[in-house]
Amino acid sequence: MGVTLSLPRRALLLSACLVLSAGPVLLFLAPASASTYGQTTRKNSGTPNSSTVVKKNGVVVKYGNKYITYTAPSASLNELGNALYLENCASCHGTQANGVPASGTSGAYPDLVGLGPATIDFWIDSGRMPAKNVRAIEAPRRQPALTPDQALAIAAWVNSLSPSYPSIPTPNLKNANVAEGAAIFALNCAACHTIEGDGDALAESTFAPSLRHIPAFQVVEAVRTGPGDMPRFTGNLSDQQVDDVVAYVTTEIQHPNNPGGFGLGGLGPVAEGFVGLLVGVGLLVLICYWVGERS
Amino acid sequence: MSDHEHRTPVEIGTVSSDDPHLQPAAKNPDTVEHVIAFTFILGFFGVAGFGAAYWVNAKPWILGATMGFGLFFLGVGLVAWGKYLMPRGPFVESRHPLANSEADRDAFAAAIVERGGGVVKRRKMLAGLLGGGLGVFSIVAIFPLLRSLGPLPKGTLFHTDWRKGSYAVDQTGRRVNVGELTVGSIITVFPEGTQNTDRGQAVDQTVLIRISDEDYVTQKGRESWGPKGYLAYSKMCTHLGCPVGLYEQELQVLVCPCHQSMFNVTNGAIPEFGPAPRPLPQLPIYIDADGYIRSQSDYHQPVGPGFWERTTT
Repeated sequence: MGVTLSLPRRALLLSACLVLSAGPVLLFLAPASASTYGQTTRKNSGTPNSSTVVKKNGVVVKYGNKYITYTAPSASLNELGNALYLENCASCHGTQANGVPASGTSGAYPDLVGLGPATIDFWIDSGRMPAKNVRAIEAPRRQPALTPDQALAIAAWVNSLSPSYPSIPTPNLKNANVAEGAAIFALNCAACHTIEGDGDALAESTFAPSLRHIPAFQVVEAVRTGPGDMPRFTGNLSDQQVDDVVAYVTTEIQHPNNPGGFGLGGLGPVAEGFVGLLVGVGLLVLICYWVGERS
Repeated sequence: MSDHEHRTPVEIGTVSSDDPHLQPAAKNPDTVEHVIAFTFILGFFGVAGFGAAYWVNAKPWILGATMGFGLFFLGVGLVAWGKYLMPRGPFVESRHPLANSEADRDAFAAAIVERGGGVVKRRKMLAGLLGGGLGVFSIVAIFPLLRSLGPLPKGTLFHTDWRKGSYAVDQTGRRVNVGELTVGSIITVFPEGTQNTDRGQAVDQTVLIRISDEDYVTQKGRESWGPKGYLAYSKMCTHLGCPVGLYEQELQVLVCPCHQSMFNVTNGAIPEFGPAPRPLPQLPIYIDADGYIRSQSDYHQPVGPGFWERTTT
């Protein structure tokens, strides 16, 4: 059956075709000028502009390189995650994870939407959330209340509200360089965490936590997401550099090689000198006393 | 014989062989000898173990432990031997008086004053020359003292190596692009070319912090200094020059690790706590057409701690 169209209709159809074909082109052009700002542009820095990106149904499920692989939590966990979220988190962060609890008192509780799965996973898996003391200035690391799988499920559900990055990292320490990691650690981390990784007090009752017991993947999560007062390290550190730092933390800091036999808490020359004076010289004084004492 | 009499010193030359001062101090010398023998055996095995440990290249703490163990017990044995098995004494040995007679000393002093003085006074020219040499030396000796104070700083205290258009680079020399830092990130930057120099790592070091996606104004008159939320502050504390590298992104403070001075990042690094007397100087920066962070000029005031010629502002 032949179809004939009037001239105005033809013009309308033609312009519709033009708009439909020009639209994607415009969309393609527009970000090129606007995306200079806001997003991190450096390759291999925890964002999916990495060397390998795996997509499933158009969604990025895995990205990274030979140093760190970031895996998005499976969408099949969403339902479980929602249930766990309502049970453990919603009383403060609100049922929509936007920081507005049911009572409507907003402001006090952080909005969790768009922070990326690694952020949610870090806070739950390090035992900081659910908070034991909601009035604490800084939540300390403690025994996690939820299992790693439950943390992943909650991360999956929160991420489903507004998909974002970074995903859950898996560092590959075989490709890491501990010496490079020590140098990067000294430049970027030691100021607050101390070169021995023991952490230290900071401003206004906050503190940098100890790194003695942090698992490798949580080091990456913390570096890439900047939990609490910690700065975020994204474009300024590549995945290779972060992998090096993780290697340094999990070897030299968590399993220090103490040539003298005792680390004395790694507190530095002052503490070591104090112990040397008190124990060493004290012992010598006692011996001298015993030698000089008349029978 | 009472204990008191044991402690009275006796003349060593006159003591008889059955004098109680010659008896060993121990009540039971045989037992003590066995104990000392045991400690020597322990010491022997300790130092022998040290030799073995050294031979097999054992860990340093094993070397130290075996040597310490061995020497400790050899020492204990030696001390115990001297303390318990040697004659208990105490003995004295008299000697004759050391000083000359009064008359001899007076005569000697008189000889020096009368004859010696006359001999020196005859060589007035030599004495004068010696005095001149020592006088010059006493002035010259001050030179190394002055030199150890180092070269005069001249204008270097007032200026850094940041110039109009200097690229901000990280410690590896990589230029920092505007897209690299997310909000809440910090990086230490240097003017390009100085990142590996002593001066660069001292006076030029600058913290680059991104606190916002939008242009940010920290103080009146600094409207263009914080493009796209990037703020650059001198990393030298204004108190004693420590590197102010502790950035807390929620409190928005920079903390100095040495004396806990805290600088508020949002309002121009005004010190909120601690001994720092002045804000950290802010570096005016801009983002060029390629997105690189560059400096508009040098700092507008001297960086780091105060010094004699520094004006107060």
